[in-house]
Amino acid sequence: MIKSALWIFGGILLGLIIHLTLILSLPHLVPNNIWNVFSKIGAPGELIIIEKPKQQEENILRLDPELTYAVCRFDLSIGPGLLSGKLPTDFWSLGVFDKNGVAIYSTTNRSGGGQSLDLGIFNPAQTRLLAEQKIELQSGILIVRAPRDEVFVVIRLSVPHPAMWQRYQEQLKALKCSHVGQSE
Amino acid sequence: MNRFTPNFLAMIFTALFVGLGLSYYSLADGRFLGTYHIGSWSTWANVGTPNPDPYTKTFVALGSTLQLGRSEGVQFIAQRDSDGELLLRECNYSITGTTPIANFWTLRASAPDGHSITPKNSTQSMHSKRISRANNGIATIHVGTKLSSGNWLEIEGKGYFELILTLYDASVLSGFGGTINTMPIVTKEGCS
Repeated sequence: MIKSALWIFGGILLGLIIHLTLILSLPHLVPNNIWNVFSKIGAPGELIIIEKPKQQEENILRLDPELTYAVCRFDLSIGPGLLSGKLPTDFWSLGVFDKNGVAIYSTTNRSGGGQSLDLGIFNPAQTRLLAEQKIELQSGILIVRAPRDEVFVVIRLSVPHPAMWQRYQEQLKALKCSHVGQSE
Repeated sequence: MNRFTPNFLAMIFTALFVGLGLSYYSLADGRFLGTYHIGSWSTWANVGTPNPDPYTKTFVALGSTLQLGRSEGVQFIAQRDSDGELLLRECNYSITGTTPIANFWTLRASAPDGHSITPKNSTQSMHSKRISRANNGIATIHVGTKLSSGNWLEIEGKGYFELILTLYDASVLSGFGGTINTMPIVTKEGCS
């Protein structure tokens, strides 16, 4: 009886090891993570406007239908990422995420630059070059340091009335997303 | 009698049951680790932070959905009413009360797999700046198939659903854990 209980106890310990292994390894094993979803619809340095989720259809990215979205994906091995433009005075926010969807940085127009968006994303090596002034940038740019090369930026823009949807989406489309040194 | 084989099989079965069951429960159903609960509502407390715990990391990676950065806002999900019963599309619910301070919030209903469950040509979601409120500022939103006066979020179909409340620019949550003391109450009004 005691021997059987020890075997079961061993099973529980082994189960905990399986659990921890799964939790720690799954983020690296997911084949269809959000990075791969965006890889299919746009190249690095290309602005992607995400269409509003339709009623009765699957909302894969779980988008809020009250907001319009743009995504800019960067591969920093090509060069530092740049995102700039002007947005309406209504609420907008941006989030910088790594390949697995973990947030690196986020802000809103309430705490940022109002209507202006000027963002530069750098990997650790590029950050060092920036500190040594070996990369030239315009002044006033918001600098974000990314620990790895694969990052994406999500811009959310609140649309105060459905009639303004088209106009606000046009303003998102006018944002410039590129790598430093990449021709636009 | 050789007891090795049954004991070994029992150990393997226990290991798989504990390992896989705990993983599923922690990520999908139970949400007992890495989450914050208040009433019917729950949220992954470390989503949107630069250094989330391993459970949150796995949840985010598996979800393949767009998450909010902490400065952008926070999203709460309710799968049960105030009595602890799962939300059913055949029933009508009222959501009453106040939310933590935010620039604005939106409320929408969704099937657990992400499908929209609002009928075509009806409102997809409620916006805090476009709803009617009582004189004391408290809003009541009715969710269900039955036409309701005031703020009505129409849904259709059968089966379970969830309510998604997203607070934008909710700077009050920077001190997460002790500052959320009010969330709307989800009450069942009846079923068809």
